[in-house]
Amino acid sequence: MRLRLLLTVVLVACAGSSARAADLPPATKTVEAVIDQLVDAAIADANVIPAAQADDATVIRRLTLDLVGRIPTSGEVDAYVKSGDSDKRAKLVDRLIASPGFVRHQAALFEIMLNPEGDRRGSGALRTYLTDALKDGKPWDVMFREMLLPNEADAKLKGAADFLRGRVSDADKLTSDVSVAFFGVNVSCAQCHNHPHVKDWTQDHFYGMKAFLARTFDNGGFLGERGYGVIKYKPTKGLERVAKMMFLTGATVEDANAKEPTAAEQKAEKEALDKAKAAKTPPPAPKFSGRAELVKIALQGQNADFFARSISNRMWHRFFGGGLVSPLDQMHAENEPTHPDLLTWLARDTAAHKYDLKRLIRGIVMSKAYSRSSQYDSENRPSNKFFAVARLKPMTPQQLSTSLKIAATDPASFDNLTPDDFEKRMEQIESSARGFASLIAQPTDNFQIGVGEALLFSNGDRVLKEMLTDGTGTVLGRLKGMKEKDAVEFLVKVAYGRPATADESKALVVYVEKRKGREADAYKQVLWALVTGTEFRFSY
Amino acid sequence: MPRNTFCGSAAHAIDRRALLGGALAGAALASDMTALNALTAPDVSKALKTKQKRVILLWLAGGASQLETWDPKPGATTGGPFRSIQTDVPGLRISELMPKMAARMKTTCVIRGLNTKNGDHGSAALTMMRGRRDEAALRYPDLGAVVAREFGPTESKVPDYVTFYTQTEGRSMAPGASGFLGARYAPMELTTNNYPEFIKKLDGITDLDHLERGELRNVLGKGFEKGRNSDTLNSQNEAYQRVRGIMASEKLFDITQEPQKMRDRYGPTQFAEQTLIARRLVEAGVPFVRVGRAWWDSHGQNFETHQEMVPELDHVMATLLDDLGERGLLDDVMVMTLAEFGRTPSINASLGRDHFASAWSCTISGAGIKRGSVYGKSDPKGNTVVAEEVDAGSLFATVYSALGLDPHKNYYVGSRPIPLVNPGVEPIKALVG
Amino acid sequence: MKAPNPDTLKLHKDYSRSVITLAVARTDGSETAYFGCSDFKVYAGDLAAAKFEPKELYGHESYVTGVALAGTTLVSGGYDGKLTWFDTAAGKTIRTHDAHAKWIRKVIASPDGALVASVADDMVCKLWDAKTGKIVHELKGHKEKTPNDFGSMLYAVCFSADGKLLATGDKVGHVVVWDAKTGKELGTCEAPVMYTWDKTQRLHSIGGIRSLAFSPDGKQLAVGGMGKVGNIDHLEGKARVEVFDWKEGKRTVEFPGDKFSGLVNRLAWAPDSSWLVGAGGAGEGFLCFFDVAAKKTLRQEKVMTHVHDFAITAAADQITCVGHNKIVTYKLG
Repeated sequence: MRLRLLLTVVLVACAGSSARAADLPPATKTVEAVIDQLVDAAIADANVIPAAQADDATVIRRLTLDLVGRIPTSGEVDAYVKSGDSDKRAKLVDRLIASPGFVRHQAALFEIMLNPEGDRRGSGALRTYLTDALKDGKPWDVMFREMLLPNEADAKLKGAADFLRGRVSDADKLTSDVSVAFFGVNVSCAQCHNHPHVKDWTQDHFYGMKAFLARTFDNGGFLGERGYGVIKYKPTKGLERVAKMMFLTGATVEDANAKEPTAAEQKAEKEALDKAKAAKTPPPAPKFSGRAELVKIALQGQNADFFARSISNRMWHRFFGGGLVSPLDQMHAENEPTHPDLLTWLARDTAAHKYDLKRLIRGIVMSKAYSRSSQYDSENRPSNKFFAVARLKPMTPQQLSTSLKIAATDPASFDNLTPDDFEKRMEQIESSARGFASLIAQPTDNFQIGVGEALLFSNGDRVLKEMLTDGTGTVLGRLKGMKEKDAVEFLVKVAYGRPATADESKALVVYVEKRKGREADAYKQVLWALVTGTEFRFSY
Repeated sequence: MPRNTFCGSAAHAIDRRALLGGALAGAALASDMTALNALTAPDVSKALKTKQKRVILLWLAGGASQLETWDPKPGATTGGPFRSIQTDVPGLRISELMPKMAARMKTTCVIRGLNTKNGDHGSAALTMMRGRRDEAALRYPDLGAVVAREFGPTESKVPDYVTFYTQTEGRSMAPGASGFLGARYAPMELTTNNYPEFIKKLDGITDLDHLERGELRNVLGKGFEKGRNSDTLNSQNEAYQRVRGIMASEKLFDITQEPQKMRDRYGPTQFAEQTLIARRLVEAGVPFVRVGRAWWDSHGQNFETHQEMVPELDHVMATLLDDLGERGLLDDVMVMTLAEFGRTPSINASLGRDHFASAWSCTISGAGIKRGSVYGKSDPKGNTVVAEEVDAGSLFATVYSALGLDPHKNYYVGSRPIPLVNPGVEPIKALVG
Repeated sequence: MKAPNPDTLKLHKDYSRSVITLAVARTDGSETAYFGCSDFKVYAGDLAAAKFEPKELYGHESYVTGVALAGTTLVSGGYDGKLTWFDTAAGKTIRTHDAHAKWIRKVIASPDGALVASVADDMVCKLWDAKTGKIVHELKGHKEKTPNDFGSMLYAVCFSADGKLLATGDKVGHVVVWDAKTGKELGTCEAPVMYTWDKTQRLHSIGGIRSLAFSPDGKQLAVGGMGKVGNIDHLEGKARVEVFDWKEGKRTVEFPGDKFSGLVNRLAWAPDSSWLVGAGGAGEGFLCFFDVAAKKTLRQEKVMTHVHDFAITAAADQITCVGHNKIVTYKLG
């Protein structure tokens, strides 16, 4: 029964979402209120006991890592924990979202989302575009349009073309990647045969999407698009077919130019392309652009559900460590969301607010569901699908590397900086952490940390040289003259943003005392043990 | 690294604990890192000999020509210039470029009827490393990861899966990958030299401090880990618990530990040295070593290329088999030659041969394979398989059987059973009976 | 004797063959040519016949890579390491020697027909008495291994016009000039650009000196092969010719190639030294003419087949190219 309902929601052909809109929480409610209403309802329905709200130190660590990509300094933690302001969380969230660190970190995550395989990451241009777009507060639909219909003549928008550029040589991959990145749908298995497990996806869907995209090509480093051309494919049964431009919902676009060009047309086109190549300018756009049609149809009416649901699910996944639909590229009728109404409401709200990413993100991180503890002491740990206990999110390489640098820095050096200078300092640290970050694996769903990372941290000389030094301005440098107990407790505070427990303090003091006369070495090892520990590795 | 995604169908809620079975239990055992020299003790080595199968895969990247190695067609228009020579197995002739192997074919099974249908380097390499094509939402572990998982003891003090691929061509197209088995069985990849990165302790720390620092790390984690549950967290601890063991295997990669006489036997080339290291590794219990030897993609000057490269393969492979035999390891260590595909019988205008997957060859030596055998037959010109055709799936089923594994054994991804080979695929009975 | 101008080069005839023809020998004034082929056979063919149907004379056990005419005696060699003497007048085989331990790459006869030279991958050049088949000299001046510990190859050999000099060239670009009479080494030249060792990407090699030719006065030595190659799995290096003052061991001219890719498999000088011609190919073939004195490329002509060898008349007015599934004749003047 549940599945049937879901089908009507997902399959736009059934005009589901509007029919059900009446049952959803009202559009006037805040994002965080709706999240908590629906998550709590599911928890109550299942008789599950959720984890308590996390303490302040954990909340600021989680928010700082998730929003701006680093651990907070111990000064930031202290200020937050001590503050009696009842509105302090909202103020913190707003400060972080308004900071340049938010733009940089989210741009990096969007780049990973768009280029998950990593082989095209880091060329710079796409990251630059994403950073600028987020800085300008561009809505997600505008970014989608700019990436699929890039204006390479505009220097500020040029980087948007990189999404397509890395994929022009392989139209199948382009088709699959566009569907995954923007619509949460993986049609690639429908390339050779109708999807074995999912009735929604047939070969028609794959080739229908490909028909929009396959006319894109490279012309001397610029993207070109032909105004004609057909995609043919051989179905598993029956005769070869010509693919119609067809969106995932089944909506099609009439294309009068779906034919092979004449020799004269080809000649004229070649001349125009050569001219553009020689002039180093983008080639002329076709009168009828398949890509423009795709953008149009994908954002039109109920077709836009795919787009809105996918970005809502992806943002949920980013902050909760798991999607409402999981995996992210398997949004289809047979893969039910954990909270169908919630996803539908979020998608509707996001579309209604013009795909404002900051609004969606702010709503998610202001919810009580987001700020639950990740610790659950009882035996009956609830399933992840309830979002009743926070999940551990492994840090990205950049988060980890930046956080290591912060943990290795004398926290006093962050005191008394103006907000601007503090931000600049953080940007410097982030950029100096980039090299080490490149040695660490990018987490995916079901990520496992390999022995390579443990070996790197255990025996890599960069760890020693970049983090475990005791010069001026370092956390280890600050320990000189301190008593063992004070020193180790100071290290715990800086690395973990919380006071050391009595047991920890005792064990660490024993460790240091055993190395009488070699305290400097001992403290390095203590810091190493802290930052390689499980407590450091995750956003918890 | 391909994303490890899963089809979202109802049955697939992921439970990695079920999937990885005893991995966690093993991690607890491994925390005692005191007996690090156990490896070198002779009784351990002897114990390994009897129970644990291992594999050395000589991966002929780019696609070596079957006509210039295992399936010569002398005199055919497609045959090329090389003659065939009689081997020590009656009725079996191989290319004259392999005189040393010709004298040792009693150790080996030649499979001549491979028809794997894919002539694209990248996707064919993935298929031939895994024995099947990935599903869109399911990444299969490759042979190395499966062998590592099946024969790598949980308390392993050596790496489970080592792969050498020091040439750059095609390397990214044939990565070692553990697929749904996860990072625990991902290969240690050696791509720049013969020595793994970060395997050696830095000078700035004493060995005792290095050890106790690791123990301190474990102690500090206890409080945090209480009431928290994450497979990623478990994998992090497990990775750290394996560090000292892997470091203890450092000398295995040091070829200067080998007597000069032995090094001279293998020869001075990079492939020879890596193969000698592979022998050191399997002798110490490493379940799977791939020695990638790129790049055989002889679109031009096929015969010159094979005249240069096949004698090296012949010498190194023959030396390896002799060496394993002398050490009494041949019953437990399998040596394979395999590539993503073979080469066209037709000879192009550049005197080259192109990509060809319709009738090519590989070899399996040692372990439980029927030795001194040949399976499969190509037509007189080498264009098609005319008898005993083998695809990637049945090849892998045969390899698993020859290693004593049930190819129909299941792994579980969530509740979904995933057998080692696809349902319906059977081993070649004649080769493993 | 004034040689015809390369501008006058004209395609005369082309013949299709189902096999790859690797070597050709032809006497001036005769329409009969002898071919060494990839089907292991030696053929005689009448190029003037209405229907070109080469006749099989005898076989080797591998590719036939060298055929040479010493008077009416034809000597052939192949990758089977064997040399066969054949009496073209009587139409029968005289003798066969197991001449080399490895592939024979080229067989040539001295201008007076008294000597036959063979080079092989055993890295030895052997000089034979053309009549008796007795060995006269074994010339050993090339290393068996490349600097990278792989087997080397000895591809090229040529006599000077007066028959007094002999040159041999190997895979790594080492050339030795010998006194044909005494077998003494007279000099060496190095053309290392002809050898590409790819130690990073593919770990094998390609190239080698594939052709040699002394200038008519014997002072200059032309060396043919291929320039450095990016992707060594393809013959994509530029067709390359270098000319040496061999006594000094010094390169005097280089033609690095600009139009064609592939190996220069055969070189010959015009009798008046006014030009040097090189032929070879990759996927397709070429004939290139050079003015060595002026260091100028005169003409670069596409040939419809990768040319493995050619025969050229003493007057340089006819060139018979053989190669991949084709035989093509050209006329000059």
